Order: sequence, then C-alpha cells, then structure tokens
Amino acid sequence: MVKSSEKNDLVTKFTVFALWMAMGVFVVYPLVRLLGVTFWVDGHFTFENLKPFLDNWYDRRAIVNSIVLATAVGLTGTIIGFIFAFAVTRLSMPAWLKFAISAVTLLPLISPPFTSSIALTLSLGPNGILLQFFGLDNFNFYGFWGTYISETLTYFPIAFMTLTTILLRIDPNLEDAAYSLGSSPFNVFRTVTFPLAAPGLANAFLLVFSCSLADFATPQVLGGHSFPVLPTQAYLQITGMYDFKGGAALSFLLIIPALIVYGLQNFWVSRRSFVTVTGKAGGRSSIKGPGPLITAVVLGTVTFISAFVLYLYSIILIGSLIKVWGVDNSLTFENYHYVFTFGSKAIKDTLIIACVGTPIGGLLAVLIGYVTKWLKVKGHKTLETISLLNYTLPGTVVGIAYIIAFNDKPIVLTGTVYILIAAYVFRYSSAGIRNVIASLTQIDPSIEEASTSLGASSAYTFWKITVPLVLPAVMAGMKYLFIHSMTAISATIFLVSVHWSLITTRILECMTELQFAQACAFSIVLIIIVFIASGVMSLIAKTVCPVGNSTGGLR
Amino acid sequence: MSVALCLQNISRHYIKDGKDFTAVSSVDLEVQTGEFLTFLGPSGCGKTTTLRMIAGFETPSSGEILLDGENITKVPANERDMGFVFQNYALFPHMKIFDNVAYGLKIRRETTDSIKKKVHEALAMVGLENAEGNYPNQLSGGEQQRVALARVLVLRPKIILMDEPLSNLDAKLRLHMRTEIRRIQRDLSLTCLYVTHDQKEALTMSDRIMVMQRGHIEQLGSPFDLYDDPASPFVADFIGQANLIPGTLVSKNGDYGIFNVNGKNIQARLGKQNPPEVGKEALLVVRPENLSFASCSENAIPVKIVNTLFEGDKIDYHVQVQGIADKTYSMGIPFLPGMQILDVGLEREASFVPQAGVIIRR
Repeated sequence: MVKSSEKNDLVTKFTVFALWMAMGVFVVYPLVRLLGVTFWVDGHFTFENLKPFLDNWYDRRAIVNSIVLATAVGLTGTIIGFIFAFAVTRLSMPAWLKFAISAVTLLPLISPPFTSSIALTLSLGPNGILLQFFGLDNFNFYGFWGTYISETLTYFPIAFMTLTTILLRIDPNLEDAAYSLGSSPFNVFRTVTFPLAAPGLANAFLLVFSCSLADFATPQVLGGHSFPVLPTQAYLQITGMYDFKGGAALSFLLIIPALIVYGLQNFWVSRRSFVTVTGKAGGRSSIKGPGPLITAVVLGTVTFISAFVLYLYSIILIGSLIKVWGVDNSLTFENYHYVFTFGSKAIKDTLIIACVGTPIGGLLAVLIGYVTKWLKVKGHKTLETISLLNYTLPGTVVGIAYIIAFNDKPIVLTGTVYILIAAYVFRYSSAGIRNVIASLTQIDPSIEEASTSLGASSAYTFWKITVPLVLPAVMAGMKYLFIHSMTAISATIFLVSVHWSLITTRILECMTELQFAQACAFSIVLIIIVFIASGVMSLIAKTVCPVGNSTGGLR
Repeated sequence: MSVALCLQNISRHYIKDGKDFTAVSSVDLEVQTGEFLTFLGPSGCGKTTTLRMIAGFETPSSGEILLDGENITKVPANERDMGFVFQNYALFPHMKIFDNVAYGLKIRRETTDSIKKKVHEALAMVGLENAEGNYPNQLSGGEQQRVALARVLVLRPKIILMDEPLSNLDAKLRLHMRTEIRRIQRDLSLTCLYVTHDQKEALTMSDRIMVMQRGHIEQLGSPFDLYDDPASPFVADFIGQANLIPGTLVSKNGDYGIFNVNGKNIQARLGKQNPPEVGKEALLVVRPENLSFASCSENAIPVKIVNTLFEGDKIDYHVQVQGIADKTYSMGIPFLPGMQILDVGLEREASFVPQAGVIIRR
C-alpha cells in the first residue's frame, strides 16, 4: 500500500512539474520575450519602442480604430445576440424553428474567419451583386463599414450563446411573479428580465469586444489602407518590414485593452450576477409573451439577420461553383479541382496539425483539471490562470510572441510543425480546461467519497469515477480545439512556413490575389471538414459517455 | 457483546468566517457489535460531522477513534472497511447498477464469478434482482437508495454508516424503507450508525439513540429511556411532543416528587438522569397524550382552552395554565364517537397519572 502511494506521489509530482514546464515554455516564456523585446533595448528599460506608434499619426489611428471598431461590434453584436437569445428562450415557437435559428448562429462559429468577408466582398465590394441590384455605384465598402458588418455577423453568435444560457437560467417563476403582481409584459421585461440579464449582457459585450479587438482576418481583407487596426499593423510590421521590435510594441498596445477586458470580466461582471443555477426550472407557462409589438420586432430582426447569414453562405457556395464572379457565371468544378490539387498540401497539413493537437489538448485539459481542482497543489490558482492566459490574449499577440520566442536560441521551433501545434494547443485548450474545471466543481463530492469509502485509492477514484464524469466536458473542449485548429488564423499567420501551411492562410492568399472563386471553394471544403469532424466527435462522445452529461448526485 | 467502535473525546473545530467554530465537542461513545445506533439532532448539531469523522472523510481536531480496539484516527477512508450510505445516494451515474454494486469488489480484486454471485445476492437482498442492467437515473429514488445500500452491503463492512438516507424519499416510501433497513440490519447482524433529524425514524429503528445539540451529546440511551426519562428539556421536547411546565420542586418521596405549579401541588416521577433539587425551580414534562380533562382528580392543573384542532383520531386542545400566560400547552384527547368538542374559552382541569409526568432540572 505504502509503495503504491509513493509511486503515485512520484507520478503526481512529475505531472505537476511537466505542466509547469509546459506552461513556462509555451505561455510565460514567449510573453516574457515579447515584453523584453518591447521594453528592453541595449540592456536597459525603455519606452523607446512604443514611441513611434504613439507619435505617428497613422499608427495612433490604428489604436483609435481598433477601440472604436471593437466597441461598435461589441454593442451591435450584443444587441443582436440578445434579440436572438430572447427569441429562442422567451417566444413560443416550434422546436424545429429554434433548431434552425441555433443552426444559423452556429455557422459563423465554425467557419473560417473570412467567410463573411468574402461573401460581403462579392455582394458589396466592387462589382458586388447587391450594389448592382440596388444600382449603387459609388459605395465604398472597404474600411470601417465593411469590417464592422462582417465582424458583427461573425461574432454575434458568441453573444447569442452567452445570453441564451443566462436567459434560460433566470427562474421563470420570477417573471410569473411579476406578471401576477400586475406588471405588463413590457414592464416585466424592463424590471425583471433585463436587470437579471444585465451582467450577462456586460459579459457578452466584453467577449465580442475582445474578439473584434483581436480579429486579424476581417480587417486584413476588408479594412484596406484607409482603416488600419492594431492586429493588421502588427502583421505588416513583422511580415512586411521584419521589424520585430515594432511588432512587439504594437502587440503590447493590444495587450492592454485585452487585459482590461479580462479584469472587468473576472472582477466586475462576475460579482454582479444574481443568476444562479437552481437545478429546478419550473415549467415555463406559454400564455404570457412579451406583447405583439416586441414579438414582431424580435421576429423581424431574427428573420432578417438569419436570412442574411444564409444568403452570405449561399454566395460562398455559388461563388465556389462558378468561373469568375460577376463576369463569367457558368458552372464549373474547376475551383474544387484547384483546391484538391494545389491546396491538397494545406488540407493535409491542417488536418495533421488538428488531429495531433486535439488529443494533446484534451489530455492537457484533464491534467490541468486534475492538478488544480483535484490535487489543489500549491499555486493551483496561478497554474489555472496561466493555462488560460494565451486564450485571453489576442491571437496576434500570441503569434508575435511565439515567433519572437522560438526564432532563436535556446528553443528554435520556427518553420516546424511543432510551433503550430503548440500555438493551437496552448491557446484553444482553454475551452476544454474551463469545461473540465467547471464540471469537476459540479460533481457532487459525495460521489467521490462513496468511491473512497468503498476502498478506492485517490488515483483509482480519479480515473474510474471522475474522468468518465468529466469526459463529456473534455470531448466538448476537444471539439472546440479541433474546430479552431482548422479555422484559426490570427496567431498562426506568423507561424506558417514553406513546409507547413494551413487552409486559412491559403484562403487569405487567394483573397489578396483576388482569386475569389478558389477562396470560396477552400472555405466550403473547410466548412465541410469541420462539420464532418464535429459530427464524428459528437458520435464518439455519445458512445463513450452513454448517459450524457450527468455529473449530479441525485439526477 | 463486544465494543465495535469507540470514540474517545472527539472534537472538531472549523475556522468559519475568521471565527473558530466548534462543530463537535468532546464526544465519547462506545458502539456495540450488531447495534443499531442513531445520531439524532437538529441540523447543525454535529451529527453528520461525527459520522464523517468515523468514515474518515474528515479528521478530528482532537480525540481518537478505535475500531475493534485499533486506533484508526489517521487511517484513510479507503482503508477503514466501513460502508457509507449517502443522503443523495451518490451512485456513479456513468455505471450500470451491476457495476455500481461490483465497484468495491473489483477494487478488492475478487474473481469475476465471485463478484457476480455477490452482486446478485446483494441486489436480491434489497429486492432489485432485475435492475442490474439499468443506469441509476433509470431507477426511482427509493430504488436508487436500495442500490446504494446494496453497494455497501456487498462488501460486508465492519460498520455501516448512513447519513440521512431516507430524507430524499416521499413519506410512504420512507416508512417502508425504515423497516427494510432494520430487517436487513438484523438479518446480517450489522453494526449500524445512522444519522437523522427525524425523531420518529430514530425511535422506530434504533437500539440506542444519541441525541446531539450544538456539538455535544445531550443524552444517550434506548428509545424508551429517552422518551420516558429525558435528561434535559431539549431532549424532552425533541423526542416526541412534550409540555414543559415550569414550577418548583416542593419535596421528594422515593421515586416521586411534589411539584408546585402556580400554587397548586401535583405529584409526578422524579427524573433519574438529571434529578432536580428540592426547593429549586424545575420543569414538569408531560406528554399531550397523557393529559385528560377530569373534574374530580387530585393530580390536576386548572387550564383554559384557547384553541381546538380536530385531527380525526384525536382532538388537539391548546390550553393555558393560570399564571403562565405567555405559553400554550397541548392536550391530545382521543376522539370517541359521540364526543363533544369543548369550546374555546372554557376553563377545565388537566389531569394525569403521577407515572406519566417527569420532573427534570430546568
């Protein structure tokens, strides 16, 4: 007995050590190097590197643009997300319609980040079909408006998902109580529903804000020269001018708002939340509704935006099947032929990277959960925070930090596949880590105590009881990691090389070379791969965990 | 009978909101082999904490726990050989019933055949032979609780610990499970520690009851002892219903005493656990069902009816005793056919036989 527990102890110690090492090398070290390059010149601390960007009019505009854009996208995205969430949770509609709405909002989440940009370019750009349809010739779509529309459509689903959860968790009895106390439908919304959802709204805004702030792909395609933002400027600085110092300094300017958002989310929003999981949702009565006017407005908005999203995706599909958009509209499979010949390496590489990274990320999530929530080793809070740090930071920052850190000694990884895998694993495992930690907290302690008192050791309990119970969470996290390994670009655009390329970078190349049809075909292929992959992973999850996500003791 | 488990001066302190909080203080207890002993008390009295310390889920701040004479205070929970039945059953939701019950046997590395045989037996004992292939969420609450019981029975532990196992069941099922658990405990002559806040449950099931309040033992004894001879006003009130009438002990006469209530002398038994002193203030404990209206009895207190509740089998009269205006007492008069319900406001005398009343220290 003593022997085995000693052995366990050794394994545990090694696990903790390995995790700290991994976090040190792939999270802390790149960030330290980034800050070093930003503030350390010739052996002393200086603000010298930041200066050009704060003095220069053009770069200062990038800062302002980034903030303004993120605020605008955050506000609009949150409003649209709320309208969608309200429709799904508060209006009585058939189940298939709810499913359809959720499916439409899911599309932008699993698509490569350019999808709406490409479709918008084809609709509203030069020779765009919508412009031709409405007879508008002098409409300059590039710049703020294009980026704003595209990012809003891409990121409102994030707000939708957050707010749906919040609205579902508000005990319907509270609203019923307000009704029976004589409140009108609008007043119930104003005095009960809205205030309870307010922290969720703030959180949704911050999420969308930080997504927009960090977004590289959309402004790269749609921003144009007249609308610089920080991520595109940083990209230009690094790949265009090989100016690592400038890139690092711009990244630092991006870190500040990202950290402010993080701080607000963790220390402000979380403290103002009244909504808790009670576990017993009362039946939602169907007689009440928000009144015909609000219903009409909500349904109108939902229909219009859903239709627009579907329209954009059909543009991509059609675009991939015709020769030259707006010029030669004859059907062809040439573009797919192009994708599977010239693009086959990118597809293969992307799949390899995603398939290698996903299980590693799953294991990482389980181990972090094990060490922080189960063992509660010294400094587990810090470990948890650090493990989520790469996700908190904008992708561009992570990418620049990686290229600075792993370009020279002691660790040279640039040009290899490892740097790409590491970037994905340590950035997108966050969902898995959070899921695992959340579901570990949900497991009734008596379940683990039951196992212990039946004679199981701590490690046996963990692997036989706890891991199966958190497996649905791990699988969901792995799915997230896989999808993002397939579709992400902001971090990895800096890390691709001749040897290892990605589908997303190929799409970007096609866009800059104005090969829209090929870009569309690449996007469609990518979306199909992601769909199949997430279907397969859901299937695996169902077979591995037949009882589903049941972490409770009672039910 | 031999001593199976022994708690020696067990205490448990917590730091709660920066303040030291004593959950259990100086508990001494000897549990006999084959005994069914219940920890009874209101929530927060320390009964569950005591049970969890015995199970090894919590460590005592001081004191020792002996199992079969061996000090197990520092032995981890998984090496104590005790079975724990949880309030919320704590079945493993991802395992079928068979695997839930087989869990402990697999850890002991028993052969597949032996595991199969024992799981069958254990499930048969709780009447769930056909549930093996189901998942816990496919069973009702009562069935889940029986699986939880089978899961510990199958291991034949030295002691079974149960933490309010019936509190999540509906009233009817609870009554049924009481007898079930007691039957199994007797059949297998198990040593069983049982936590509950339901005094009826404690009275019907236990060999002995340990009444706890604010972390310490109020009284330890058989259900009959607790009911018949409560050691404190708390026990008197917590076990069954009791009228606690204040007064003075006038004199002692063998097992009996003369008790003065507002100038009227009446006779009652003297409490043995905690006998009062002559001339001091004391309490008369008398159960509602032992009081009756009688006009020509010596052992009676004048009362005034303030409320009547018809309960079917009996009438619950709320009465006030003269001179003790701020308290109402309860009289349970059996309802017989043709009986007249007395009106509120009437004045009567409440009488009882001297054996039915107990005088205890205040």
